[in-house]
Amino acid sequence: MRVHADLRLKDVPGQLVRALEPISSFGGNIVGVVHHHDQVAGGRISVNVTFEVKSQKQLESTLQAWKGLDIDVARLSSLFETFEFEYVITGDISPTELREITDGIESVNELDSVDLRYSVSPSTGEKAILIFGKVKQKAALARVDDFLRQRALQSGFLLISGLGE
Amino acid sequence: MNVDVVIVGFGTVGQGVAEVIVRKAPALHSAFGEKLRLVGVFDSSSYELNGKGLDPREMIARKEKLGKVGPRLDGKTVPELLADFHYDVMVEVTPTNIQDGEPGLSHMMAALTSGKDVVTSNKGPLALKFKELAAAAKKNGARMRFEASVGGATPIINVSRDLLVGEKIHSIRAIVNGTCNFILNRMKEEGLPFEQALREAQELGYAEKDPSYDIDGIDSAAKAAILANAIFGRECTFHDVRRVGIRGVSLEAVSLAAAEKKVIRLVAEVSPTRLEVSPRLVPIGHPLAIGGTLNIFQLMTDLAGEMTVAGKGAGRLETASAVLSDLAALMKENCVAKGREL
Repeated sequence: MRVHADLRLKDVPGQLVRALEPISSFGGNIVGVVHHHDQVAGGRISVNVTFEVKSQKQLESTLQAWKGLDIDVARLSSLFETFEFEYVITGDISPTELREITDGIESVNELDSVDLRYSVSPSTGEKAILIFGKVKQKAALARVDDFLRQRALQSGFLLISGLGE
Repeated sequence: MNVDVVIVGFGTVGQGVAEVIVRKAPALHSAFGEKLRLVGVFDSSSYELNGKGLDPREMIARKEKLGKVGPRLDGKTVPELLADFHYDVMVEVTPTNIQDGEPGLSHMMAALTSGKDVVTSNKGPLALKFKELAAAAKKNGARMRFEASVGGATPIINVSRDLLVGEKIHSIRAIVNGTCNFILNRMKEEGLPFEQALREAQELGYAEKDPSYDIDGIDSAAKAAILANAIFGRECTFHDVRRVGIRGVSLEAVSLAAAEKKVIRLVAEVSPTRLEVSPRLVPIGHPLAIGGTLNIFQLMTDLAGEMTVAGKGAGRLETASAVLSDLAALMKENCVAKGREL
């Protein structure tokens, strides 16, 4: 998880190092720091920190440590890194089949989103369906992939996968 | 010093090799101090052997005029006829047989077992028995080179094994079948249904009457297996490749991909953990979105990063050029081994 934090630090030497130390001590990875020397309010300087943590617990420990150090957190936003998947399936795919496919993908842990786009030829009735979405962990990509491959084998439709990384 | 060559298989590729021997032997002689000399030719029903050398042009003319190169084989096999004949390198360019690799497998195994070097374009034996052939070469102090078996004129194996020897190659993704690429490209560019694009490929001579070898991914899978063995050291065969062809690709799927600014390509992917041939969605502008009948290889390496090699994947002189590069590599090694200045 990537976290953006706007911190308010006391305008005295050594505060920045003090603020950053809990991030690394709880296993986080500092991505960027912007120190706004010109933005002083109530004797405190504004600092924007971007860092990565592996879990919510890690983030909470960091926040707790900042509280203990009298560091104000003015704003906090977090963003999960996501991994995209993309497939086109084509062949004889019934509405029931399609529902089972989407249900199967939705049952994958760490799924962030899944979407479909259809195309049906008015002249031949040929169907193609674009399935695309995101997962929150890379390992979940393999689970989506395994599910779709098995389903393609079982049901006889053609699976065309994205190129990936 | 001569490097005596026997060509086994005298169809399009074999005759191309004979032609490049005529054209390039003087340059190789001046580079390596050895003369490339044709001493034997076999086609499917006849042969000619002459320890003093054969005129490659005459052999091509004879084949064109008579449909044979010399006396009938009369039930004798290539290994039997070569058992007591002196030569240095067998150029094995008989057609690929992916069922059992024969007759190329027996030809190559006999040559390697008797300590002769082998240069080949024949995918079947390599895709089925790579490990066994490599072991026979090692045991008998022979060398086996096979650049022409994957990518035609495109130098992927020698680039990966020789020039990128210090790199760790993480993966190779490639388009190795020009026929499939032609069909998929025609579907996208002209809105042709699969069957029509296939018929067009057949009329232009890109696809055989029985196109399954191309469109079911068999050809690509054989090449993927060779790359896996040769570059990643994986002990696998054609049968280990997860394979899906392009037979089921609908025009609707091609259009849907195009709406997403993508094309569909039959991609071979090889890495230490992946061995697969399947249709994939490739972003337009990506190297693998290449059109026409070219072959292309995208390598992911640890130091050089992403690297792309592209070229003609088939053709008489194109494939012969890859065979020639292997013959030249053997001559270069001879030169180094003998302490001659390059």
